[in-house]
Amino acid sequence: MARSNEVNLNECKMVVPLNTWVLISNFKLAYNLLRRPDGTFNRHLAEFLDRKVPANANPVDGVFSFDVLIDRGTSLLSRIYRPTTAEEPQPNIAELEKPVTAAVVPVIIFFHGGSFTHSSANSAIYDTLCRRLVSLCKAVVVSVNYRRAPENRYPCAYDDGWTALKWVNSRPWLQSQKDSKVHIYLAGDSSGGNIAHHVALRAIESGIDILGSILLNPMFGGQERTESEKRLDGKYFVTLRDRDWYWRAYLPEGEDRDHPACNPFGPNGRSLEGIKFPKSLVVVAGLDLIQDWQLAYVEGLKKAGQEVKLLYMEQATIGFYLLPNNHHFHTVMDEISKFVSSDC
Amino acid sequence: MLRYDSTSSSAGSSSGSLSSSSSSSKPPQQDIDGLLAGAGYKVRSSELRQVAQRLERLETAMGNSPADFSQLASDAILYNPSDLACWVDSLLTEFAEPPPTCSSDFIVDPVNNQTVVNSAWTTAEPHTPQVHQNITYDEQQSLDNQLTVVTAMEEDSGIRLVHMLMTCAECVQSGDLSLATSLIGDMQGLLTHVNTVCGIGKVAGHFIDALSRRIFQGMGGGSVNGGSAFENEILHHHFYEACPYLKFAHFTANQAILEAFDGHDCVHVVDFNLMHGLQWPALIQALALRPGGPPLLRLTGIGPPSPDGRDSLREIGLRLAELARSVNVRFAFRGVAASRLEDVKPWMLQVNPKEAVAVNSIMQLHRLLGSEQTRNSPIDTVLSWIRGLNPKIMTVVEQEANHNQPGFLDRFTEALYYYSTMFDSLEACRVQPEKALAEIYIQREIGNVVSCEGSARVERHEPLAKWRRRLSGAGFRALHLGSNAFKQASMLLTLFSAEGYSVEENEGCLSLGWHSRPLIAASAWQAVPAWDNRMSSS
Repeated sequence: MARSNEVNLNECKMVVPLNTWVLISNFKLAYNLLRRPDGTFNRHLAEFLDRKVPANANPVDGVFSFDVLIDRGTSLLSRIYRPTTAEEPQPNIAELEKPVTAAVVPVIIFFHGGSFTHSSANSAIYDTLCRRLVSLCKAVVVSVNYRRAPENRYPCAYDDGWTALKWVNSRPWLQSQKDSKVHIYLAGDSSGGNIAHHVALRAIESGIDILGSILLNPMFGGQERTESEKRLDGKYFVTLRDRDWYWRAYLPEGEDRDHPACNPFGPNGRSLEGIKFPKSLVVVAGLDLIQDWQLAYVEGLKKAGQEVKLLYMEQATIGFYLLPNNHHFHTVMDEISKFVSSDC
Repeated sequence: MLRYDSTSSSAGSSSGSLSSSSSSSKPPQQDIDGLLAGAGYKVRSSELRQVAQRLERLETAMGNSPADFSQLASDAILYNPSDLACWVDSLLTEFAEPPPTCSSDFIVDPVNNQTVVNSAWTTAEPHTPQVHQNITYDEQQSLDNQLTVVTAMEEDSGIRLVHMLMTCAECVQSGDLSLATSLIGDMQGLLTHVNTVCGIGKVAGHFIDALSRRIFQGMGGGSVNGGSAFENEILHHHFYEACPYLKFAHFTANQAILEAFDGHDCVHVVDFNLMHGLQWPALIQALALRPGGPPLLRLTGIGPPSPDGRDSLREIGLRLAELARSVNVRFAFRGVAASRLEDVKPWMLQVNPKEAVAVNSIMQLHRLLGSEQTRNSPIDTVLSWIRGLNPKIMTVVEQEANHNQPGFLDRFTEALYYYSTMFDSLEACRVQPEKALAEIYIQREIGNVVSCEGSARVERHEPLAKWRRRLSGAGFRALHLGSNAFKQASMLLTLFSAEGYSVEENEGCLSLGWHSRPLIAASAWQAVPAWDNRMSSS
């Protein structure tokens, strides 16, 4: 048993820089401590371990942030990130919600990852990522602090995403000058990508326009064991066992992984043919064990005639987008920037 | 436009302090991996490889019995997750067997069958800007420059009110008192149209009053507190009941004190502000239940002198003594009456060299920060004699706010957001008159921050980052509060129905906040032994 562990460790050391390996391994081991075999989660320890950062209304590298309570009933907070402008390098504190001035300002609603269970909008890694997105896309980013499993199962995360979408869509100060509409993109990594998909679905049904969806290593799955899952199990920071645990924690009790939340184009899913679904940018890491499900998702969109661009990053592991020290990171950031700006 | 904190670059003692704090094993900032720092972890680049190896060992150890680990994790007490090297070591101590022989450090190169020393990690891609790997992590600058805003503003009139408040404060700062005065009138009118139940609207009225007082009484005006010490105690008690901030402070400090007193038979707690002694019954009871039996507990309570011949300190002491007697804890009390903390001299505390001493300061140290940054300002004097007592522990709880900035507008802005968040959290309290009196308690703080100056302004709150520097510079090192204290504080919060409270861990200190904004921070300290300190005496 120890032998194959050594092989696994050596393999993933070969493909990521040292500090990335340390970061993701640390998460992996810490998360192992938090998941209990009986399906409960050590939330106190998780919050103790999570490295958080406060919002900062003073700009740092041209980006400032502030938290907004979107829904008092569920204590739903979101962190808003805005770029400073040439005219106003130091925002007036009383005008954090000052109307955006450009002709077109993309507003990216971001759902952080963590397999529906870990992290928060104010986790350091996601605060950093959101700030990058602001600079990259000249966008306003709204990072949603959705309720997590196992304390809050399906559909809480989607409900919170939907609440945030309605909130964003109804902010006069987020309307682009060109057409007095809010130019909305949905984005997320891991479980956040899954949430983005489902919120997009609800948006279509309610007539809110979504300009595009960006899914980074989105979390999908199914009952079947796919080839990539068998081949890559335990090799690059992630095991099938932990994936199963998180689905059991999120999905309604008694449901299996062919539930449409987990497997949107599976036996219980529905075709999106004829539906005006937003264009999607889907990033798949070649060393992610759930890639077969992510590729099936892309196929599902294509079959339904939806516009989708797949970025398959062959040697990338999960979390490659957290630190800017690898070429996958830069490639993906470039593509995201093009994807968001193509509507100007 | 960056704002630099003038206090950190002034007094000579602060540069001296950096060398003394490095002697208490703080790594030099330049070597910290910048990318991991951005993720909240402090690891020296030179140590990365070692940390990685230890993570591997930990993984191997955990691989052997995965189901046990969540249970072990629940029971273990873990500290300071930001310091990754120490964190991994502590986990290894909890979970791992002794280290294996060096085999894990080598891999055999399959091409020429030579053993290659652990060089499996890839170097960064050639076109990746290398300079970002080890950016100089200027902690001081980034932490001084923070303004955290949580808002739930919905209506235009609320936004307009904030606008006017800021403009008015700006006028006050620049001396344009006539415009400021007319703005006061406008704002009072606007108040009638604003939702004053929660958020900015709720607190705006208090800020308008405070500004008004500042303008009409002239600079340096305004009394320290609205009323007598007796009134303050009542308000304090209701603030204690209405929201969890003081309970969190007491609870966290007591936990740390209890641990520090472990194994000592004679212990002495010095409380910098006794009030109604609300903190101490829990400690007395915990000591009573200590395995091996309770120690002899002495409590020295400092407080303002009472008028009319009452000795309120002694009254509190008597009640605590009664409680101690009922649980068989040998107890002695001494009251020290002083109008100001800086008037207290160490000899008044009558510390016995054989006792383990705990110094407990709940929201008192900031009162010692005078407006002038002189060498022997009250804070330096007091910290110096505390150090002289060589306490086993000093527990410090302070408001997590930057209310001591020299610029009035900056202070005003910070206070506006801090207190609106605090008021918002009070909304969760349904009990009267606790809630109303708690609001008055907070209102008085606002009044002091906004309308007072000079020696009258005692609410000189500074954030944890500044206290860390100050205390390190004064010869103290941090004792970390661990996962058990965190967990118990979190569980305390679930007793309150309000869902917006959260406890956060920050490099060994704990803070309690509302809606992701920390409002109060607790830390524990110990004097660095004199022979360890290479700093020139202050």
